[in-house]
Amino acid sequence: MNSSNGNNGNNNSFDRLSQDLGLHFLELVRIGSSKAPVEIDDAAPNELNTINSSAGFLVVAPDKLSVKYTGVNLHGHDVGVVQANNPVPVKRLVYYFEIYVKDAGVKGQIAIGFTSEGFKMRRQPGWEVNSCGYHGDDGLLYRGQGKGDAFGPTYTTGDTVGGGINFGSQEFFFTKNGAIVGTVSKEKEMNRCLFPTISVHSQNEEVHVNFGQRKFAFDLKEYEAQERLNQQMTIEKTSLPPNISYGIIRAYLLHYGYEDTLNSFDLASKSTIPPICIAQENGFDDQDIMYALNQRKTIRQLIRNGEIDAAMNKLRDWFPQIVQDDKSAACFLLHCQKFVEFIRVGALEEAVKHGRIELAKFLGLPEKDNLFDALVMDCVALLAYECPQESCFGYLLQESHRDVVADTVNAMILSTNPKMKDVRCLQSYLERLLRQLTACCLERRLANGGQGEAFHLCRLLN
Amino acid sequence: MGTSKKVITREEWEKRLSDVKIRKEDMNKLVMNFLVTEGYVEAAEKFRMESGTEPDIDLATITDRMAVKKAVQCGNVEDAIEKVNDLNPEILDTNPQLFFHLQQQRLIELIRNGKIEEALEFAQEELAPRGEENQSFLEELERTVSLLAFEDVSNCPVGELLDISQRLKTASEVNAAILTSQSHEKDPKLPSLLKMLVWAQNQLDEKVTYPRINDLSNATLEDPVHLQSHQQNSIQKERQWAVRLCYGPHQTNLLQPLAHLSLLSNFTQM
Repeated sequence: MNSSNGNNGNNNSFDRLSQDLGLHFLELVRIGSSKAPVEIDDAAPNELNTINSSAGFLVVAPDKLSVKYTGVNLHGHDVGVVQANNPVPVKRLVYYFEIYVKDAGVKGQIAIGFTSEGFKMRRQPGWEVNSCGYHGDDGLLYRGQGKGDAFGPTYTTGDTVGGGINFGSQEFFFTKNGAIVGTVSKEKEMNRCLFPTISVHSQNEEVHVNFGQRKFAFDLKEYEAQERLNQQMTIEKTSLPPNISYGIIRAYLLHYGYEDTLNSFDLASKSTIPPICIAQENGFDDQDIMYALNQRKTIRQLIRNGEIDAAMNKLRDWFPQIVQDDKSAACFLLHCQKFVEFIRVGALEEAVKHGRIELAKFLGLPEKDNLFDALVMDCVALLAYECPQESCFGYLLQESHRDVVADTVNAMILSTNPKMKDVRCLQSYLERLLRQLTACCLERRLANGGQGEAFHLCRLLN
Repeated sequence: MGTSKKVITREEWEKRLSDVKIRKEDMNKLVMNFLVTEGYVEAAEKFRMESGTEPDIDLATITDRMAVKKAVQCGNVEDAIEKVNDLNPEILDTNPQLFFHLQQQRLIELIRNGKIEEALEFAQEELAPRGEENQSFLEELERTVSLLAFEDVSNCPVGELLDISQRLKTASEVNAAILTSQSHEKDPKLPSLLKMLVWAQNQLDEKVTYPRINDLSNATLEDPVHLQSHQQNSIQKERQWAVRLCYGPHQTNLLQPLAHLSLLSNFTQM
């Protein structure tokens, strides 16, 4: 954002700034109307793939959750192999599934593992490249070749064996009857699309599979919790500059104008033993965010209480440039909020009157990119419901929406500060840090072939 | 060196940052969690009023917890123990290490106040039995009692026990135990998130060049630079420092007459 030297220049850039802000916050309103962001992972496997399996050598039950060997077992190319219907979903910390050996048959040559898409469906998992398998007859782990490595115990009738991928540590792991038997690095098969795979190879062998529809023998939740804890412990070893949290909290309170909290906070930090002094040298430039603290607090409280007229009057007195242009984003948001407040108390006639006078002029404005229109329509739609809070536009009546309006006005006031350098200063330090954290975690996952958990603040908080 | 790494420009990175959805409510919760865990009751109350955020713990319990913490910090350990038991007798029952540390602190305070006889009696009656049950308790007990052997406690090897930091350590332990007994995490979440940021950036550095936040206290993005120009930047800084040193704080313009260059030449050999 360029700032020119003349007064006129400043006004222009301020207008642009407040316009950008307004539109930005309209977007936030849209976000506020949806639930907490939930990441959509790919569909998980939930049954066996009957189309792509070595049909001649096995039969899959109608429920697609168990197989029986029907071949003769003459050599190494008549294995009855079947993959799951979907590949392993990767946007998570761990993936896991189990098999139950109903009958180990004549030779117990059962295997569980992971194979890639073009796997030769007549070979044991692990006998070909880009596959791995834990075999029941010898307890060996096979990784892409005919010779296996010592890995774990053998397994047979009555055993429950599990196979999993830990995307955090990039390892395969296998379990027997609820206990881990071993892990192995996943490096070679890293960016391949892998399918959970089971196989049978001698007469009478029968295996049932569980993709999570039933309780696992292995305590997966505990394993995941332990993994997260381990990662957390590594992270905890990082050192931070002293009192950095206090500084960031303080800056947050200043930024949003929570003056009373700030005063209590300062008092409390001074009387801590030892007292916490957040000195200027730490880089906290109070001047910028101390700006108009009391006025911002006052206006925020008015908006939070639904006293929109009072808030607009204060703005006219203290920061006329924000509400000067009747078609500005600030005016728009406040007029909308006034409309919503009428609805909240059931004053529908006043709402309609207000809407006709103040809101109608915002419809069809070309440069506002439909966001104004959408919000006006949502507000007006509230009129149609007996219980507007329960409608899909009910978000407008929530506390959090009042907060969005209050935050917008707060940001606009901050932007009238001649010392305010650019739009980016209108996010609190805390917000900037959290955005950076999220972006870094996402990029890190991308660099990992898209595998693993992303960072979600809401998950951490709940 | 850095050339095989993926490079993300400032513009591209800022786009990603703006795509991130952070909810105000969640940030408010983080702040409230901090105020509550650190025990700032009034601030938490005010924050609830000003932001509408509900605390994740009953504020009344904070006052009690802070009273215990304060008592230990001031050396009133008996008082603290009484208060903890009023709050929840199970805390000390289920936490022998904490109880031992509190008793140890009591002993330290007796020694600090010169009550030698009382200290010895207390050590023998209350602490020695604990020491018999547990090797590390015994070692701690021996360390504490050894304070009595020195005339000049400020210079003895276990002098740190008399330092206020010992009180703070015990106070912190009690605070954590109370929080845990209330099914609340004993540490605020914010510092962990900050550490996670530092860690995530370090991890990402191995594979990608991108704008970093190097100074957490002002959360400013710093442009990705290639190693070479980064070195040049530091050479520039050294020159400026040298000029300032020689010619006073206002002279930072490096386009000075050539005569001065000879003085700077020492610093360019980096």
